[in-house]
Amino acid sequence: MNSAGTKLEKISAGEPKAQLRALLVEDNPLDATLVLRALYQEGFDVAADVVQDEDAFTRSVRANPPEIVLADYNLPNWKGMEALAVLRREGLDIPMILVSGALGDVTAVECIKQGATDYVLKDGLTRLPEVVRRALRERHEHRLRQQAEKDLARKVDELARSNADLEQFAYVASHDLQEPLRMVTAYTQLLGERYKGRLDENADKFIGYASEGAVRMQVLIQDLLAFSRVGRTDAACASVDCNAVMEEVRQALGSAIEESGAAVTSANLPAVWAERTQMAQVFQNLIGNAIKFRGKEPPVVLVKAEKTGENWLFSVTDNGIGIAAEYADSVFVVFQRLHARSEYSGNGIGLAICKKIVERYGGKIWLESFTGSGSTFKFTLPQGTENPQGARP
Amino acid sequence: MKSIPHLLVVDDNPADVILVREALAGSVHRSRIHSVEDGVEAMAFLNRKEKHANAIRPDLVILDLNLPKKAGLAVLAAMKAGPDLRRIPVVIFSTSRLSEDIQRSYELGGNCYVTKPGNLDEFFAAMKSIEEFWFGTASLPRQGE
Amino acid sequence: MNSNEVDILLADDSQDDIDLTLHALRTENLANHVFVVRDGEEALEFLFCTGPHAGRSFDYPPKLVLLDLKMPKVDGMQVLRQIKGDPRTKTIPVVLMTSSREERDMVSGYELGVNSYVQKPVDFGEFRKAVKSLGLYWLVTNRPPTVNSKPQAAKQGQ
Repeated sequence: MNSAGTKLEKISAGEPKAQLRALLVEDNPLDATLVLRALYQEGFDVAADVVQDEDAFTRSVRANPPEIVLADYNLPNWKGMEALAVLRREGLDIPMILVSGALGDVTAVECIKQGATDYVLKDGLTRLPEVVRRALRERHEHRLRQQAEKDLARKVDELARSNADLEQFAYVASHDLQEPLRMVTAYTQLLGERYKGRLDENADKFIGYASEGAVRMQVLIQDLLAFSRVGRTDAACASVDCNAVMEEVRQALGSAIEESGAAVTSANLPAVWAERTQMAQVFQNLIGNAIKFRGKEPPVVLVKAEKTGENWLFSVTDNGIGIAAEYADSVFVVFQRLHARSEYSGNGIGLAICKKIVERYGGKIWLESFTGSGSTFKFTLPQGTENPQGARP
Repeated sequence: MKSIPHLLVVDDNPADVILVREALAGSVHRSRIHSVEDGVEAMAFLNRKEKHANAIRPDLVILDLNLPKKAGLAVLAAMKAGPDLRRIPVVIFSTSRLSEDIQRSYELGGNCYVTKPGNLDEFFAAMKSIEEFWFGTASLPRQGE
Repeated sequence: MNSNEVDILLADDSQDDIDLTLHALRTENLANHVFVVRDGEEALEFLFCTGPHAGRSFDYPPKLVLLDLKMPKVDGMQVLRQIKGDPRTKTIPVVLMTSSREERDMVSGYELGVNSYVQKPVDFGEFRKAVKSLGLYWLVTNRPPTVNSKPQAAKQGQ
């Protein structure tokens, strides 16, 4: 029953047991039996090889890698601890439990430092099953963690590659696409002017459509670029006084304000930690929209801010045409327009840009509005003179 | 200007050269427009070398930046280094809006920088504005013979 | 006005010409940030941030210098030579605007690197037209050098 490499038969009866493939390094057949019985009694269905020297051990782990190694400390032809060296050499990550006669504490600790997972004394075999269970559990969790880390590293890698692709796309769109587009735009316009009324009746119309399409494409590409550039600027975050930003925005919207007779007022606004040009973009887009989508009366736009918990809650309220509740979410989608091009100009990117900027700082933006009675856009920005997490890239 | 003004357009895109001609067609200044497609040919024209041995010396140069064989900035540098070429005003006319291109052009002695507009009307307006200023308002040293 | 927000530096010793120039620029809405100096010395102090203009910064040069040739203390050609001879100022667009009809002056100007040379017309109407043309060209058509230019207003959004 105990020659080197003989598998000991399992004795199964009664309830199902947890399967376990084990490799024993033990020269004493009685001790081997006791070890296996201790495991069996506590619910392990063990299939085990028993070996006594390095060669047999090596052959066995190669042919049939076990889930656990149970090794005696002192053998006539070998030392149990040297099994660890073989495992390492074979690149096998298998827990090893020392099952030994008297083993001083110091030696035991030393063995664990050298890589043994645990140890059990031969006169304390009742502990063995629990020790084995723990060792297997820890090894399992360790493997799960390693896999999770590998997955994460792979995802980070994919994300970096995806970002690089996007940046390259944006670059291509900005330079390489615009040049041929410029040719199409210029020459369809030139055709339109040169041959107006001189070709058949449809020609003017066809050329007109081509020309308008090309011009629209130019604007679309520029808008897309503006959108993609959010979050990729070189400017640094700083404490930005929103009242000063409002002044700049009022100037930039000067002619629109004058034409529409708009009244744009702001209550005392706080300072936030952000990039100045991005804050200006948010205010300018929201206020510009409020003016553009006006009703019959001159637009009245009010900008306020209040503290709520950890955030500043800004609101931009107008008396314009309002937005139906069912569109409250889709207005923030890139290029989502709610009106025909003939009614209101624009590509529908302003709000998408606002959303991207606000979310970059960890805030939220949403709409409260009723059709026909104006809109209120609200957005939050974290308080504090410094954003503790730093703006997300 | 009493005599016919001569304009040299250095641009590798024939479509843009045509646009320049279209823009200035029928103008009161009646500029004569010459064009070359790359930087090497530009220098040959300006230095009256090889097939350009009888080339007229232009009164104004309109220079694109992205040129094959010899880049626009290199042509500019060569012009502003030479004793008689340096007095010919050079208008950089490029699609590039990059501040480094603009800055470098001025550093190398470019007289001005105009970005090529994306649409036809603005392109024509820019060209006409260039012609009107340089041949109508400004005074240029006599070049041609 | 904040002397770091000057668009045009006008250097001329003739009050009549200064008035005409400012008037012409005003009709094109280009006269908001014009700074006038009446001699070459002050022109240099302004551009090189010395003397009474020591508070100015090289980071905010004017978009255009309109320079007369005949001025007291330091003449236009000297001013031009200094501007174009110094890396801190050589990229500033300079237009020599002068009543001189000397071909020699014009050639020297271009050789020194003046961006352009305009002869002041004798006729008032022509003078105004010339100023308007050069104002529009250098402030609207032309792209000035971008070294530390003023922060732009955010572009119109939707």
